Amino acid sequence: MTNAEKPPGDLSGFPQASPGAVDPPVPEGSGVSELVEQSGRDWLPELRRPIPRWLTALAGIACVVICLGLWWWATAGAAEERLLLYSQLPSIRETIDYLPNLWDAAAPERHLWYNTKVSLGRVLLGFSLALCVGIPLGIAAGCFPVLQSALAPLILFGRNIPVAALTALVFALFGTGELQKVMFIFIACVAFILSDAISAVQEVGQRYVETALTLGASRLQIIVKVLVPLAMPMIFDSLRVLFGLAFGYIMLVEIIQEGQGAGGLGYLLNIARRRSRPEIMVIIVLTIPVVAWLIDQLLYAVQCLLFRWKYGREAEASVVLRFSRSILRLFWKNPDAVKSL
Amino acid sequence: MDFPFSGTGVMTQSNIVEFRSVTKTYNFGRPDAFTAIQQVSFTVEDLRDHGEFISILGPSGSGKSTILRLLAGLDPQHPPTSGTVLVAGRPVTGPGADRGMVFQDYTSFDHRTVLDNVAFGLECRGVSKSERYAKAREWIARVGLDVQADAVKYPHELSGGMRQRVAIARTLILHPRIILMDEPFGALDPHNRYQMQDLLVSLWRHVQATVFFVTHSVEEAVYLGDRVFVLSRSPGTLLHQIAVPPPDRPAAEMQRDPAFQQKVFEIRDILEQLETSPRGSGNPAGFERS
Repeated sequence: MTNAEKPPGDLSGFPQASPGAVDPPVPEGSGVSELVEQSGRDWLPELRRPIPRWLTALAGIACVVICLGLWWWATAGAAEERLLLYSQLPSIRETIDYLPNLWDAAAPERHLWYNTKVSLGRVLLGFSLALCVGIPLGIAAGCFPVLQSALAPLILFGRNIPVAALTALVFALFGTGELQKVMFIFIACVAFILSDAISAVQEVGQRYVETALTLGASRLQIIVKVLVPLAMPMIFDSLRVLFGLAFGYIMLVEIIQEGQGAGGLGYLLNIARRRSRPEIMVIIVLTIPVVAWLIDQLLYAVQCLLFRWKYGREAEASVVLRFSRSILRLFWKNPDAVKSL
Repeated sequence: MDFPFSGTGVMTQSNIVEFRSVTKTYNFGRPDAFTAIQQVSFTVEDLRDHGEFISILGPSGSGKSTILRLLAGLDPQHPPTSGTVLVAGRPVTGPGADRGMVFQDYTSFDHRTVLDNVAFGLECRGVSKSERYAKAREWIARVGLDVQADAVKYPHELSGGMRQRVAIARTLILHPRIILMDEPFGALDPHNRYQMQDLLVSLWRHVQATVFFVTHSVEEAVYLGDRVFVLSRSPGTLLHQIAVPPPDRPAAEMQRDPAFQQKVFEIRDILEQLETSPRGSGNPAGFERS
């Protein structure tokens, strides 16, 4: 039954007897066979078709192999014949040979892991501070547009401060100590957290608010029981992205430091420069993304556990969640207890 | 208290709902002013231990939802531009649990289980956990869901029909005097729709509330309603109030009855005329936009 035959004013979709409703005959040569032929002729792979697991892995490995190959090719040969000199980019061999020095017990302040921990600690502190300020304020501003308008100028500036300028600013304000590093992360993140929290609250459909109102909920109850819980997953999404960025930015301020032993990945980069050790640079460039990815996966697993109502099935795709589950299974006698995690 | 409008005998009011020449114009006084409903007046009596079932029909954009939302006290339809909306003799000042509402899009709170969704209103009233859960389980069973299996589920695990059952249970558990339903079954397939209609009829006998039911389906309106309101094209005016026999058989059966179909055709003819005839077929003249 086509729309034209439907009586106007009835959108019910009820099956009805309609004697006149016969499918119109398909005119011959109307392009059906042409279409079939065309799909056979197309030289591009099928659009957005999912690929098997092994192909996923193979494609990823191929990329890594090509990159390593390029690295090897650019740094191969005698010292003078190399495409890129040692001081520009050390070869794979040189980098691997240097690795043990970053685990050397003799100089713990030069350890890769120690300095990663120091950097992470600073990011965590500054980021937590930004959360404590940004999330409550953002939720309030998402609920009450007056507050949002009042905060708008701050957010505009906060989001658009050039990071390089900010390093100079916190250096001038807080010197070169721990405070400078923590405040750098705080200032760099808080405006983003604030604006993301505001939009997360605003994204929650008005229907939910209206439903709660007609069920007799007070305004405070709507904030606490409806708006905040429904906005939380989106807030968490943006926190994951921001944390990764903050972890990348911390090195900028760690490079500016007088005196020794402050630690942090930026400090390690300084050592690399001062001692002309480009291997350290390469190692940091290669390890940091891996650490950042691991943290992101961990946060994603936490997110899946926190918002089970949203990620019911998706949680199964979380690498860290599955991994930690299988680790737990090794130690736990009761497999059901682990499964319920 | 819980029911701010359930009169305590101070007012001897026999009308549960009264519209006194209610007009709603958006952007009033501006060039883009739009009148959704115009000079709508009607009364619904407070029938003791019964409650009336009002179906509202009308062409698209005739202000059906506007009437519901004015009753619910929801922005931006509330407050009316002119006229008065009275519930139990008092003007509506805002939303409240005495006027429950069920929307077309399933508005289950995604972060709450079925049990916590149904218990939401009682939770807001401060009812203790054991008490509100006991009541919620009762209502989950009453709307035809499985208490054991479904109560712990989250909305994303439910079908559209099941979610709408949750929404109905969540509203009725508060025993509202008035239930407002805005095309609640509009997104369901015919089979589910019949089932939900039957469910609604049996529940309605149980709660004895006054129901306002907006729908696009003439069959649904005639089957469920005691009275069918027909609105004109935009700006909506109340053209007809047609009394129809109450549902006395299951939906699928009664809607096959020739007498029933006759009624449906009658109303459909009226609607068809409204859709095709030039504007103003039923509009009272003399309304001016300022």
